[in-house]
Amino acid sequence: MSTTPRSQRSRAGTVAANTVGVLFVIVMAFPVYWVLNTAFKPASEVLSFTPSFIPEHPTLDNFKSAIKAPFFLVDLRNGLIITTTAVAGAIVVGFLAALAIARFRFYGRRSLIMVILGVQLVPLLALLIPLYLMLNRANLTNSLIGVTVTYLVLILPYTVWTLRGFIAAVPRELDEAALVDGCSRWQTFYRIILPLTGPGLVATSIYGFIQAWNEFIIINTLNNPETQNLMAWLLQNQTNRGTAWGPLMAGALITSLPVVVFFLLVQRNIAVGLTAGAVKG
Amino acid sequence: MHAVDSPATAPPAPAPTAPSTRDRPRARRRRPQWTPLFLALPALVLLAGLLAYPLGRMLILSFQDMTLRHLFSGSTPPWVGLDNYKQILTDGVFWGVVRRTAIFTVVSVTISIVLGLGVALLMQRVSNGVRIAMVIVMMFVWAIPQLVSAQIFKWMVDADFGVLNYMIDQIPGVDFANHSWFADPTQGWIVITTLVVWAGIPFLAITLHAGLTQVPQELREAALVDGANAWQTLRNIILPVLRPLIIIVTTLSVIWNFGLFTQVWALRDSKPEQEYQTLATYAFTQAFGRNEYSLGSAISVITVLLMLGVMAFYVRQMFQIGDVD
Repeated sequence: MSTTPRSQRSRAGTVAANTVGVLFVIVMAFPVYWVLNTAFKPASEVLSFTPSFIPEHPTLDNFKSAIKAPFFLVDLRNGLIITTTAVAGAIVVGFLAALAIARFRFYGRRSLIMVILGVQLVPLLALLIPLYLMLNRANLTNSLIGVTVTYLVLILPYTVWTLRGFIAAVPRELDEAALVDGCSRWQTFYRIILPLTGPGLVATSIYGFIQAWNEFIIINTLNNPETQNLMAWLLQNQTNRGTAWGPLMAGALITSLPVVVFFLLVQRNIAVGLTAGAVKG
Repeated sequence: MHAVDSPATAPPAPAPTAPSTRDRPRARRRRPQWTPLFLALPALVLLAGLLAYPLGRMLILSFQDMTLRHLFSGSTPPWVGLDNYKQILTDGVFWGVVRRTAIFTVVSVTISIVLGLGVALLMQRVSNGVRIAMVIVMMFVWAIPQLVSAQIFKWMVDADFGVLNYMIDQIPGVDFANHSWFADPTQGWIVITTLVVWAGIPFLAITLHAGLTQVPQELREAALVDGANAWQTLRNIILPVLRPLIIIVTTLSVIWNFGLFTQVWALRDSKPEQEYQTLATYAFTQAFGRNEYSLGSAISVITVLLMLGVMAFYVRQMFQIGDVD
């Protein structure tokens, strides 16, 4: 058998594969295209029985009415405050715990790892009832503090787990060399470990930001519209004005924009945390 | 029977720890072990206060009868023993919800994993340009928040102005104008499953594709020389190497899809009909819609118990892979 038939067959195979690949791209991309298409259409084109596949009269009206809608700016501000505070807290607390797990052997270390892996799997909703009762009792519902602390704890397990990986990747020999050269433990930490895990810290905080920014069930249950975030605003907006699809899609775009940008920056690190080590081959 | 006797079926043994790393902890063992505990203390306190304590509280609550009155007065609700559980477990509606959630999980995870693996294999076969386009599109889909993607789908399947009805209506002889996708639960669940699979494929395909690049090229070439066809190569070479990764992503998908909430909640306007209730929405509706906090807690406890096996399996797998120590 000569090689010609095989290479011909494989060329035909590549064409077939490319066709399927392009079809896959179109099907996957369609919803994304459709939200963009809708957001830039005037209301008359959105509510049309024969939808246009490109806005005939592109407009920013939908974005304007989304921003002017009640609570949009308040909830945007709340979301930023809650998310950044929760992430900052989780990074500080999580880094210390990750340091303990990655650099020390101590009694209870294995159970701590098990707890950290396990709690990530507990359904959020299971915690919501007791959380609501606790925060209600402490007068922390309808406040930013209650949800901020809750979000901090929600992103903490993932933060510890990912940072542990980044710290473990710094060779112990570097720590030891620094100690031998007369650095204190504290100096070793901020001169060796902290700079070398810098990129990891950025990636982990961005992922935490995405998690906290996207959450709406807890905040929607605990707080009223004045103290909610943009995701909860989006849910409310949908219920109250069921058919205003143009502004809703525009609001959805604004709300997801920071998340999408951030996500594209750190995508590489996210899957790693969930399936760490499984791809060693 | 097997054209290829694959050496790749050997389970990935946990990497043996180098002797040097074994020595080091021993050298440290003489130090007092206060530093690590001190470092982990803030995290422990927060996890105990806002995860462990609520979990315990939920368990207690499920044996009480908490109503709105106790919420306002702050008094201890009366103990009712196993009454909540008896009421739930003898309720046909509850078992319907469990059945629906389980069926959805099995169907959606099976479709997602098969498609995810298919896309990962496809990515190896296509030209570079097409592969890059596939990765870029999947990144965007992956990045979209769950609530937003649910709303996009809700808009696309809208009965009056949705683009889906319009496109199906274009097929000659088919009348889909004003077709309501949620009037018939089967069709509604097809929409929900499509949404979940669409949103889930990027993580699966990209992770599995990363795993595929770890399959040694020599093994494939050897299989080709030995006359294995594509299916035999997949079965005897690729799948055995990917096995640990497939197990992990399947476990994660089961856990995520079993807890389905956001998509149903958004698509059904925050008040899902009986035919659309999953365990998560059912517990939420009982607790916050009807102020039956104890019943809701008991349903959550049962949900966690149902998932406990899968969760323990995931944690064990993560340990077995050997990355942890």
